[in-house]
Amino acid sequence: MGGKVTCTLGEVKQKADFIVYWGGNPAECHPRHFTKYTIMRKSKFLPNGRKDRTMVLVDIRETKSAKAADVFLQVRPGKDFELLTILRALIKDQPVDNDRIPETGLTRDVLDDLIRRMKAAKFGCMFFGMGLSMTCGKHMNSAALLTLVAELNAFTKFVAMPMRGHGNVTGADVIMRWQTGYPFGITFNRGYPRYNPGEFSTVDVLVRGDCDAAFIIGADPGGTMPQPAIDHLKRIPTIVLDPHITFTSRLARVHITTAPQGIAAPGTAYRMDELPLPLKPALKSPYPTDEDVVRRINAALDAKPFWLPEDGRPRMLTAQV
Amino acid sequence: MMRITGGRVYDPANGIDGAVKELRIDDHGRFVDAIEGGRTIDATGMIVFPGGVDVHTHVAGGAINFARAMTPEDHRRTQAFIRTKNRRSGLGGMAPTTFATGYLYAGMGWTTVNEAAVPVLSARHTHEELGDIPIVDKSTLALMANNEILLDQLEAGEYERARSVVAWYIWAAKAYGVKAVNPGGVAAWKWGHDAKQLTSPISGYDTLTPGRIITQLARICDDLGLPHPMHLHCNNLGAPGNIATTLDTLRHLEGSRAHIAHSQYHAYGGDGWDSIRSASRQLADYFNAHPGLTTDAGAVLFGDTVTITADGPWQHLLYKLTGRKWGNLDVENETGCGIVPYTYRPSNLVNAVQWATGLELLLLIRDPFQAFLSTDHPNGGCFWRYPEIIKLLMCADFRNECMAKLPEAIRRRIVLPEIDREYTLYEIAASMSAGPARALGLSKKGNLGIGCDADLVIYDADDDAARMFSRPRYVIKGGEIVIEDGEIRETPQGREFLVRPPCDPDIDAFMRPLFEDRYTMSFENYPVEIERIEHADVRPCAPAP
Repeated sequence: MGGKVTCTLGEVKQKADFIVYWGGNPAECHPRHFTKYTIMRKSKFLPNGRKDRTMVLVDIRETKSAKAADVFLQVRPGKDFELLTILRALIKDQPVDNDRIPETGLTRDVLDDLIRRMKAAKFGCMFFGMGLSMTCGKHMNSAALLTLVAELNAFTKFVAMPMRGHGNVTGADVIMRWQTGYPFGITFNRGYPRYNPGEFSTVDVLVRGDCDAAFIIGADPGGTMPQPAIDHLKRIPTIVLDPHITFTSRLARVHITTAPQGIAAPGTAYRMDELPLPLKPALKSPYPTDEDVVRRINAALDAKPFWLPEDGRPRMLTAQV
Repeated sequence: MMRITGGRVYDPANGIDGAVKELRIDDHGRFVDAIEGGRTIDATGMIVFPGGVDVHTHVAGGAINFARAMTPEDHRRTQAFIRTKNRRSGLGGMAPTTFATGYLYAGMGWTTVNEAAVPVLSARHTHEELGDIPIVDKSTLALMANNEILLDQLEAGEYERARSVVAWYIWAAKAYGVKAVNPGGVAAWKWGHDAKQLTSPISGYDTLTPGRIITQLARICDDLGLPHPMHLHCNNLGAPGNIATTLDTLRHLEGSRAHIAHSQYHAYGGDGWDSIRSASRQLADYFNAHPGLTTDAGAVLFGDTVTITADGPWQHLLYKLTGRKWGNLDVENETGCGIVPYTYRPSNLVNAVQWATGLELLLLIRDPFQAFLSTDHPNGGCFWRYPEIIKLLMCADFRNECMAKLPEAIRRRIVLPEIDREYTLYEIAASMSAGPARALGLSKKGNLGIGCDADLVIYDADDDAARMFSRPRYVIKGGEIVIEDGEIRETPQGREFLVRPPCDPDIDAFMRPLFEDRYTMSFENYPVEIERIEHADVRPCAPAP
């Protein structure tokens, strides 16, 4: 199973009468989520707002978000995958051994109640955060949740959406996909895009010491990456484009100060549901935009001899090597 | 400047059928009467066609980009384009990357493509992708038939208001026309339902039926004077017995212009998967009796592909049938989208019926200015496989050879064995270029006449049509040689066609409160700025007085 059954946030705002947050703490990490898109919103279909919507929180501890929830399910750490798999079985009325349920930290009654509520919903939405996707099981957990949501569509309308953070990560994903077919973890070292997360992801390339230069825009790996990766960034010529002084800019050979996106530089940002939003700058900046800098670097590179070996005619591979 | 001499010219827009004729191109990339100097291409013994025009394809935007993300296993095995000085790298395959899309279309002699499904909400994304598709000219159609603000107006009987709403959306999307997908059905899918009966009210509405959406939206497109009529993906796609829905839809359209998208998927008889059969004859009869109506085939080719459509409920069914990956993206207020990888197998009776039905429609609809070459890329097969379809149309022996490989039981379900028509080169040129250009209202495309855009393709004559059409000798776009002998020479940036239909000046004040209630972005940020369109070419509308 793969894929993703999702929607834009406006659908949730208009229609979702059943909302699950799994492994996330929106009250503290996405503080506008409740009021802009989910439980607090009134709409044509849910005129009473909060009263018309049910919220379930699944997490390993009782965070501030639990106060907002109608139902709080405290899953035992590391047992998300088991819980999701049990739910997948229960929605289809497949037999589940009662002995397997306590290890998730929940009881049969609680799960039966959840199944009843999910199936009775007119429009359900599961938001999942890093408490699911970055803990034991990682992408297998996300896949289990996405599969559960896909399968729930046999009974009622259900969608899922990751709770993403950090600026315009989604925008980078989207553009890499249309230009190369892949969202991240891409190498061009054979002249065309290849993909292998774990091998070609930035952190892996740096830790192995495979690259001999680094060009960094809109990120601060110096603050988040493991020490061996940071050590390699220090060894090689690292160029950073950033409006601010950051961990990475301090270790870089070159730091070009650029205008901050959305404040003094125009562009497009993609929201977590992949909607493109135009950025309209409110201020002027004395610094160039990231786009200006990259264009000027490109122009300077174009003036140099072409860097790929040319054997007279362009080649087209019919099979990859 | 350039002259092309000695070639046999097929220019159906001007009734030219294989005459040897000299073509002259000026410095503005247009055909002219006379030039002085310039390069001469000696096309003696070669065949000259207007550049191909794809009336219905999915090459840019949220849906195809979702499909790219879902099919890394295909990217890994497919054709790769290596970076060169004048060419970006990329991948071909089921859902090609943007740069590769331009190279593959041009490499086959196609010079204009119409992206047939754009949610207005993410139109900005679509245009950004189109900006990364080189060489070809482009246009887009905005998805309208499940837009809840519009449906509310139609239910309330506010026709004038509805017309202005459509005009407002088209300009907001910087689109060229209107696409209707499963009218009412995608809106119902937001509640997990579908709309299969044209006369039953749709979920969430009291009286509004799919039939009424179809009739009114077609009339709106005509009244706004859009160059391309309503582009309709009918209700009940893919289902056995859906010919009844399709014919009913066509009757709802009487008195209006319309283009019926991928009609292969809408021409089945039978009453279940066990009894599905081709109903192409019934549909073709209707087209033959209604010469103003156009369609594209949505032909199916055997092999792997990925299906993408705004028809969310159908994709849920396909996911349940196949158990393969399923992507779904409902777009607030406007539309939906579903993605499922699929393999068409000759041994599968349903797939075999689909394969035959697409070809039958192209062969049974007599006028090639009515029935156009398409696979509804990537749904029925990838666009770069068009030469295979051309061969199937031009060569009855080859068709019979392919049919012999299908299960014996297929013969009772299709009419293809009874058809001996073979397309002529003239008819191919009409079906792949002049016809779709005319249906799109692009008067300077698909036409080698004086004043038209110098988009043309020159083939070495070859008895094997698939080989001939997959490797043109030259492709010329806007007077510039872009492909020579199968290699990419130049990668100019194409234009994007759009329209600005007339609308009530007070429409902004009407839309704003509705918009703020339904959407999650600000009203000012919603319309795509015209400055963001690379090489925008705003075409005129001819509104009804």
